[in-house]
Amino acid sequence: MVGPNGAGKSTIMKAILGLFNYPSGKITIDGQPVSQTSHQALEKVGALIEYPGIYPFLSGLQHLELFSNDGVSKQQVMEIVDKMKMGSYIKRKAKTYSLGMKQKLGIALALVNHPEFVILDEPMNGLDPQANKDLRTIIMDLAKQGTTFLISSHILSELEKLIDDLVVIDKGQIVYRGDMATLESDSTRSMVLQTSDNDKAKDILTQNGYQLIDSDEGHISIVEDEKTKMADIIKLLSTNDIEIEDVKHVHSDLETSLLNLLQNDKVKEG
Amino acid sequence: MVTLVKQELFKLVHKKSTWITSVLMLVIMTIYAFIARNNANTFDPKAIYIGLFTGMTWVVFFMIAASSSIISMEFQYGTIKELLYRKYYRGEILVSKWITMFLYSVYFMLLAFVYALILKVTVLNSNFQLSENYGYKHSILTTTIYTSLAQFVSLWLILSLVLLLANLFKSSAAAISVGIIGYFAISIISSLLAIVIKKWTWLKWNPLNMMNYPNQVASPSLKHITLLSTNELLIGSLVYMAIFLGISYVVFKRRSV
Ligand SMILES: Nc1ncnc2c1ncn2[C@@H]1O[C@H](COP(=O)(O)OP(=O)(O)OP(=O)(O)O)[C@@H](O)[C@H]1O
Ligand SMILES: [Mg+2]
Repeated sequence: MVGPNGAGKSTIMKAILGLFNYPSGKITIDGQPVSQTSHQALEKVGALIEYPGIYPFLSGLQHLELFSNDGVSKQQVMEIVDKMKMGSYIKRKAKTYSLGMKQKLGIALALVNHPEFVILDEPMNGLDPQANKDLRTIIMDLAKQGTTFLISSHILSELEKLIDDLVVIDKGQIVYRGDMATLESDSTRSMVLQTSDNDKAKDILTQNGYQLIDSDEGHISIVEDEKTKMADIIKLLSTNDIEIEDVKHVHSDLETSLLNLLQNDKVKEG
Repeated sequence: MVTLVKQELFKLVHKKSTWITSVLMLVIMTIYAFIARNNANTFDPKAIYIGLFTGMTWVVFFMIAASSSIISMEFQYGTIKELLYRKYYRGEILVSKWITMFLYSVYFMLLAFVYALILKVTVLNSNFQLSENYGYKHSILTTTIYTSLAQFVSLWLILSLVLLLANLFKSSAAAISVGIIGYFAISIISSLLAIVIKKWTWLKWNPLNMMNYPNQVASPSLKHITLLSTNELLIGSLVYMAIFLGISYVVFKRRSV
């Protein structure tokens, strides 16, 4: 789940967890309704919303003991600690933890009861690159075993590596729903050329039916589709005595696609 | 519910303040016991014993602090989300906190009571006998038990208000101040209250007047001032308690976090 600051991502997650009083609509998990007063469906749900809640007077391990269900053994708790690589400080008081250490504890708390559905709100917050990778591995492994994850994040490059489905929220409304590839392929791919005479080349290419993207003087951007062949372009330009100095394919990334999407969506303020 | 109470107790026993306050109370009680022995002429050792060597006052202080923080700390630390999103009903979470505080207050009362007995037989052994008649018609020991129980009721009247305020404001500072002021207000404004009640009789049902319950248990003649019988004060206290806790329950159940 992605969306601008204040789009309502955390709010949606809170509503799913029965923490937020929503005026209308219905939320169900596995067919069971969830609201502030009905929580039975949340038995199999783990979550980390916004920032981890931490009791300063308890150690990390005591947090995990406190929130683990009766069925979860000490050994299972330690497994998670190991997976998150928290072993070296898990017995220390949580108030001494750094931002990333707290974050890891929050994630461990979300996972400790082996939930079937895990909600993580910006889980990569404050994690170092290694921890980020570890987290990714953990999520992928659990997902393979059948755990469903709902993750919100602003770090698109991270999300890209993780997700199957994408929901884009803007001002409280869903503006895109589908897989990541579709969102990316909706956007244009282009070929960027550097030639000995850019102005002349532009004229020639336009005359031959190629669609150009307005760009600054330094280079030429050609909109690419299935019919665009590099060989044709090279031939066309060389017959006109223009040398090609550099060619690049530019695949507009998720970020660009997303920004375009958010700019063009029809969601009204308020 | 048992699980939830256990979890609350787990947090309570791992808080340093839980043990520091207990030790502090015992130390202060000991000091008072010695003061009472060494200045038996200025202080009445019997009265000081019945007041559990000021132990009761400290129980009130520490319980007000503990009750306000048991709710507000969850908001302060951001743990309220973890606490509430689980399978348990919200009401259960709140009630588990009340039960925990009840157990804690019983622990405190027993600690103060038993330690006062110990101080009596050690430090003040020769000063008076527990079986001596005191004041109204009971022995010193019986009077102490009755007064302590009555004070326990008053304590919970205050605590129910503190629990409500901590819940409303999500902050312990406000709840603690009102709790402590409420507890001491009665001794400060009692004469004013007496005048007001005399003028508008229906005001005798106000919660501050209910705080006179332990005093009236100790000296029944107070009923001419409170204009309520001792039992009416007890029932009034319980009704206010129920009202305050009831509002807490409704607020907590509907709150978005
Ligand atoms: N559907 C909605 N209708 C009305 N108000 C909403 C809705 N969703 C969210 N809000 C309000 O928008 C504000 C911000 O929401 P929220 O904290 O969920 O943002 P967010 O998407 O998590 O932002 P961030 O990326 O900064 O974490 C809140 O005050 C919330 O009450
Ligand atoms: Mg958010």
